[in-house]
Amino acid sequence: MLSKARVLKIEEIFSGCFFLQLEEQRIAGDSLPGQFLHVRVADNTVPFLRRPFSIAGASPRNGTVEIIFRVVGEGTRILSRLQKDEFLDCLGPLGTPFSPGKEFPVSILLAGGAGIAPLLFLAGTLAGKREKILVYYGTPNSGELLTPDKFLPPGVDVFLATEDGSAGFHGLVTDLFERSLKDDPGRAEIFACGPEAMLKTLAKKNRSWGFPMQLSLEERMACGIGACQGCAVQAHRENKTGYLRVCRDGPVFNSQEVVW
Amino acid sequence: MINLEVNLGPLRLKNPVLAASGTFGFGEEYASFFELEKLGAVIVKGLTLRPRQGNPPPRIAETPAGMLNAIGLQNPGLEAFLERELPRLRSINAAVIVNIAGDTEEEYLTLARELSETNGILALELNLSCPNVKEGGIFFGTSADVMTRLIRKVRRVCRLPLIVKLSPNVTDIVELAEAAESSGADILSLINTLKGMVIDVSRRRPLLGNITGGLSGPAIRPVAVRMVYEVYRSVKIPIIGMGGITNLDDALQFFLAGARAVAVGSASFINPYTIPRLISDLQLFMESEGLQSLDEIVGAAQR
Repeated sequence: MLSKARVLKIEEIFSGCFFLQLEEQRIAGDSLPGQFLHVRVADNTVPFLRRPFSIAGASPRNGTVEIIFRVVGEGTRILSRLQKDEFLDCLGPLGTPFSPGKEFPVSILLAGGAGIAPLLFLAGTLAGKREKILVYYGTPNSGELLTPDKFLPPGVDVFLATEDGSAGFHGLVTDLFERSLKDDPGRAEIFACGPEAMLKTLAKKNRSWGFPMQLSLEERMACGIGACQGCAVQAHRENKTGYLRVCRDGPVFNSQEVVW
Repeated sequence: MINLEVNLGPLRLKNPVLAASGTFGFGEEYASFFELEKLGAVIVKGLTLRPRQGNPPPRIAETPAGMLNAIGLQNPGLEAFLERELPRLRSINAAVIVNIAGDTEEEYLTLARELSETNGILALELNLSCPNVKEGGIFFGTSADVMTRLIRKVRRVCRLPLIVKLSPNVTDIVELAEAAESSGADILSLINTLKGMVIDVSRRRPLLGNITGGLSGPAIRPVAVRMVYEVYRSVKIPIIGMGGITNLDDALQFFLAGARAVAVGSASFINPYTIPRLISDLQLFMESEGLQSLDEIVGAAQR
């Protein structure tokens, strides 16, 4: 579960947002969309805790695995200074992945900001296996968009939204999706990842839409394997309501499970 | 092979390296990384009589060389522990120590009574020092009088070796350690976390859902080593030392200060193999130093 992965490529996609490609055969072979890597950014006691990142892509054939991260604090700043051929201490893949249903010919992927990462991986594994894959992707402005074509397989329809209107639809990605709603909930399922406010809106609206909907959540984590109970989210599961662990019971939850 | 076996008063362990309560759950997750049988003992997550939900998130914050946690004793309660967790731990031959917490004296007594009558538990650790719950916990651990009364009552109903885990959030930990010893504790665990807080500057609010949390990790190690050093001088019962241990050198500081065993806590979060690695490093250290027993170094730094 614990490996040293070699850095193959690190690239700044846009200001403060990085694409990191690692080489590690076991992780590449085991990773599923929705799972994450728990990364030790420095061999030091500062920063102390590992940092979890959704897996943005993996190729068992090439032995590669990818993450996308934004610099938000000291941990990600250190990570952004990694150089090619350096090694990164990775625990994983961890967590419960997305579970797409074969009975749904249409897959709808809803991404907010860096929440695009696990959905890129998911789109890659669904490509060619679904009638239609639709990606709705929203960011604050066009400067914070990663070029979806570069990361997505062919045949995926992408719909962009920016909050300032600088690219695509002017507004929130949830509004864009609602306006273009036409797929029959019996034929389509939704996978979403993004800021809490976005996921909360989706989960509430989905009470009337009625799509099968899986959400990938984020929370501050310590162990990443389910032992410490640190990454709690209030949820219903198996007729009980209580705190579940984002790292092990999730990060993917059904939208009806989460208590907002 | 040098024998790492250690006697802590009435408690005999195969080696002196334990998993600290609250950082190891009920062992299930770490069992997929290594055989729990290798550990001196697993001190399971703080157990209460009834299930506890725990505190609202966020429960974790990064701090310089450490972390804050405010889990709030989330646990499935005594019944689920006896039905599910304990049989599983026994089936993989883990040495189990149960950490117990309560809101009232009565809860501690019920837990101690019930667990004393259960097979497969090596010892009880009285959690008198959780900083993250409103009632109980630390309330019992900061006043010598209150602590003495509780330990005496638990002692009467508890047939297992009794470990008392002390809080560092007191003016004089030696006074509390002496009170624990004279009221019947067999062993002392020190230290629990230090109460602390982080403020989220962008939101102008405390970061943790519980407002405050317990500080652990290498940041607290010097405090913990000092407390073990001071307590060792004034009590006769054995000490399990803990607080920021990540490797052999860290553990040796505790042994030299006077601990007869050590527990590893948050370092397991960073590397799940920390404890088994420490056990083998300790073995190698004793061989290279020609030590027959750790007794030769316990308290050796005392001046």
